[in-house]
Amino acid sequence: MADSVDSALKSSSDIKSVQAQSSPATDTTPSQQTQTLPIRESKSAKSPAPSENQTGKNKDASKPPAAGADAAVPAGADKPLTPAELKKKAKAEKAARRAREKLAKESGGAGAAGSSAPGPGQGRPPATPKKDAAGGGASQKGQKAAQPRRGSAPTGQTAADEPTKKEDKSVAVFGHLYGQPRRTTIAGAGKEVHPAVLALGLQLRDYVVCGSSARCVATLLAFKRVIESYTTPLGTSLSRHLTTHLSHQITYLSTCRPLSISQGNAIRALKLAIASVDPSTPELSAKATLCEFIDNFIREKITVADQVIAGSAAQKVQDGDVIVTFAGSSIVKQTLLTAHKQGKRFRVSIIDSRPLFEGKNLARALANAGLDVQYSLVHAISHAIKDATKVFLGAHAMTSNGRLYSRVGTALVAMSAKERAGGVEVPVIVCCETVKFTDRVALDSIVVNEIADADELVSAQPLQQVTGLVDPVAPAKPDNKKGGKAASSAPKPDPSASSLNPSSSPLSNWKENPNLQLLNIMYDVTPAEYVDMVVTEMGSLPPSAVPIVHRMSTNL
Amino acid sequence: MPSTSLALTPGLGSFLKSLKTHPVETSIENLISLLKRRQIRHSRSCATATAYLLRHVVSVCKTSDPLKLIERVQTVGRRLVAAQPREMVVGNVVRRVLGLIRDEAEDDHEAEFALSEAGSESQPQTPRAFDDPSPSLPLDRDMLSLRAEGAERSSSRPTLHSMFSLLSHPEAEFSPISTPGTQSPNGRMPGHGPGKDVKAEVLEGIGEIIDELGQVDDQIASYALEHIHSNEIILTHTSSTTVQKFLVKAATKRKFTVIHAESFPNNHEATHATVSGNPLDDDENLSTEAFQKPLIALGITVILIPDSAVFALMSRVNKVILGTHSVLANGGLVAAAGTRVIARAAKVHQTPVVVVSGVYKLSPVYPFDFDSLIEYGDASKVLPYEDGDLVDQIDVQNPIYDYVPAELVDLYITNLGGHAPSYLYRIVSDHYRKEDISF
Repeated sequence: MADSVDSALKSSSDIKSVQAQSSPATDTTPSQQTQTLPIRESKSAKSPAPSENQTGKNKDASKPPAAGADAAVPAGADKPLTPAELKKKAKAEKAARRAREKLAKESGGAGAAGSSAPGPGQGRPPATPKKDAAGGGASQKGQKAAQPRRGSAPTGQTAADEPTKKEDKSVAVFGHLYGQPRRTTIAGAGKEVHPAVLALGLQLRDYVVCGSSARCVATLLAFKRVIESYTTPLGTSLSRHLTTHLSHQITYLSTCRPLSISQGNAIRALKLAIASVDPSTPELSAKATLCEFIDNFIREKITVADQVIAGSAAQKVQDGDVIVTFAGSSIVKQTLLTAHKQGKRFRVSIIDSRPLFEGKNLARALANAGLDVQYSLVHAISHAIKDATKVFLGAHAMTSNGRLYSRVGTALVAMSAKERAGGVEVPVIVCCETVKFTDRVALDSIVVNEIADADELVSAQPLQQVTGLVDPVAPAKPDNKKGGKAASSAPKPDPSASSLNPSSSPLSNWKENPNLQLLNIMYDVTPAEYVDMVVTEMGSLPPSAVPIVHRMSTNL
Repeated sequence: MPSTSLALTPGLGSFLKSLKTHPVETSIENLISLLKRRQIRHSRSCATATAYLLRHVVSVCKTSDPLKLIERVQTVGRRLVAAQPREMVVGNVVRRVLGLIRDEAEDDHEAEFALSEAGSESQPQTPRAFDDPSPSLPLDRDMLSLRAEGAERSSSRPTLHSMFSLLSHPEAEFSPISTPGTQSPNGRMPGHGPGKDVKAEVLEGIGEIIDELGQVDDQIASYALEHIHSNEIILTHTSSTTVQKFLVKAATKRKFTVIHAESFPNNHEATHATVSGNPLDDDENLSTEAFQKPLIALGITVILIPDSAVFALMSRVNKVILGTHSVLANGGLVAAAGTRVIARAAKVHQTPVVVVSGVYKLSPVYPFDFDSLIEYGDASKVLPYEDGDLVDQIDVQNPIYDYVPAELVDLYITNLGGHAPSYLYRIVSDHYRKEDISF
């Protein structure tokens, strides 16, 4: 998970460079066009946006802005236009835009996949050349139209499609959790949203940045960039306006994937820090203070906290232990690696689950470090737990009633540990930073939860999900499904579906099956009595101490 | 597997076809290799194949001496069981057939005995005499068990073959069946020689076992309405046809919701197929039930979940209905991996767990060593070979079965009705003779 944070960082710096490159272009065009074509200005000013699609590969990303600059100059040249011409042009532009939007939507998805998955470059070649060719061939109109616009068209289209299908397919008990479908592209994002945040949103959605801590860190780092590039508009103070500016970013992020508890806590702390900035402080120093605050927050609450937790949890590991863990928690990984470095000899048994297979990365990391690793899936829990001596679990959050809110399946592991046939209980140890503590309470896994896209369950191949959910093939597929009813792409789905999905899972068109529902929840709640100990950076506690520690850590 | 290759892929279908043409020894070898290669998998396919094979074995057997027959069936049975010791139904069917031969032999013996002596000894005959005129009535499954019971009582009578019967001798004396029936054996006995008759009777008995195997799911399903009420939320696991038929039967009258755990990675494809009603081209499933309507077509809402979400949803579930691989004498079961956690989660949430299983899966084996019952499967299903770097480094486990202790099960529904787990030993003793428990 640490590496995913790194990649998040890297890509956001990519964005920065892209932006830097593209900004001259955007600077020049408006100045040339301001008098006659105001509409144009607003368009080209947004030109950094499309490049977001390709953040992962900045070679690709650096091209479009350059092209945009080229295209912008002729645009300035044919300045004198009659109103009729203008109208015609606008019409053509609109039509072209519509066409491109569809294309951009696809390539946007593919671009995200490309950035997420280092390996699979399969889907990329078809997407990019098309785009490039079209961008080169079509004149400046095409170039501009290529930008995924935040016009009403895409959102309207999806909004029309979604209810008819989703309504049928949402599991009644979880009805309250089906919000809007997750955003699939950056199309429709508000113009205030910072590129770093745009990219992060897609990474969150694709589980490239996954895991409570990683999401928290990535969000904070993205917000740091937002603050760095922020200038207070005239007539407002930083402490007031920055909060609203940030809330745009937050709204965008939450449309990509619901915010985690840790993200929420971090954002709350950040907002508090912003609000406490003295209005009289000059903007530069205020921003510096805030950036420093973010750095400190990450260091204190996560980086150092993780080290402390890993250190103290590693002490619990003894020679000859068999440690069972579920899915891929970064803090558990750190703990086990620390214990291994201390020279302890123990075995690790990783239990993993569909559809994310997070444990695979953990298994890889541990095996590379030379640990003795056993790997099995959720169906083998009772076998894995049979010779376990300890269970280490990561957390998404700890609720105020001492329950553990974590990746779905955790409760099964904890339960099995506590009800072993031999009657011997296996201690269950949860590693959790206090930033993941929340004052919310939960009794079951139904009231509070997160619903992921049910299509993730359709493909049986685990491979596709290892590096990120959206493989090069997948983005085309959901599009097909959505477009299945939209007349435009009606003939397309069938051939592509059969060719893309050679395994032809019986579920591949489950949405057409009446009464069939797929449920893909992300979390479950483990009862407090299954948890023996919560290791935090403030010490090891019983689960009942969670609310107290939470109060302490938020008040201090 | 495309359906065109159906005839080529070895399995139950091809085995049954070949049975008619091949000599016995080839057929035995054939089934042994099918079992060893796990090309025959489902409990019922194994049971059916074994039953057909034994029928073949008995029918071509030159001798009609019961002792020789028993010996012959025992040797074949031992080889089959040795080929796949964890497929307990094979042993069960062999035991049933052995019991059948013994019954017939004893009946014969007694008949002679009864003929030579006075009619006083004719009582134990009655169940047999009852059974005889109605071999193909739907009742005859009950008759089977009744007969087994009767046979058990009379088991010691003959003193004919083994030392085993010596031990059970005293117990058999309390055998009077209330209706002595004056019809007695004279109706059928005098006509034919004892030996020839035994063989025919045994073949007929095996035919009944085969019939039972064919109808068992429907018989179990007939109890469905007694157990499922309206608006229930039922959780199930794997693509067991027994469970599906049970639910489908209930769905004809009641409306309920089914939550289906997909049992990744060993059975998820079949489960997906069952749930969505798009049958996989699986040779073993390509029988009539593969084409039955899925639950969703009957207006039942089916929610497919990954196995990991079982605990999260268990608080909403009213009843857990599970299929099984085999049932052990103590009431525990060997079922698809993942069943145990589900049963555990149900226990934690005080949700009743119902296991549906044909009596043929009920095995007299007592599980002293649970681990020996568990079979491990293809590790590449857990970790595909695409992750080659990992495959070398880590130890991947894919157990196919779980042992579920009896205390996690609340009710068994077999083709004989509903039973508490603690009652199963009784059904075992009804169906298998002590001599055959370790044949």
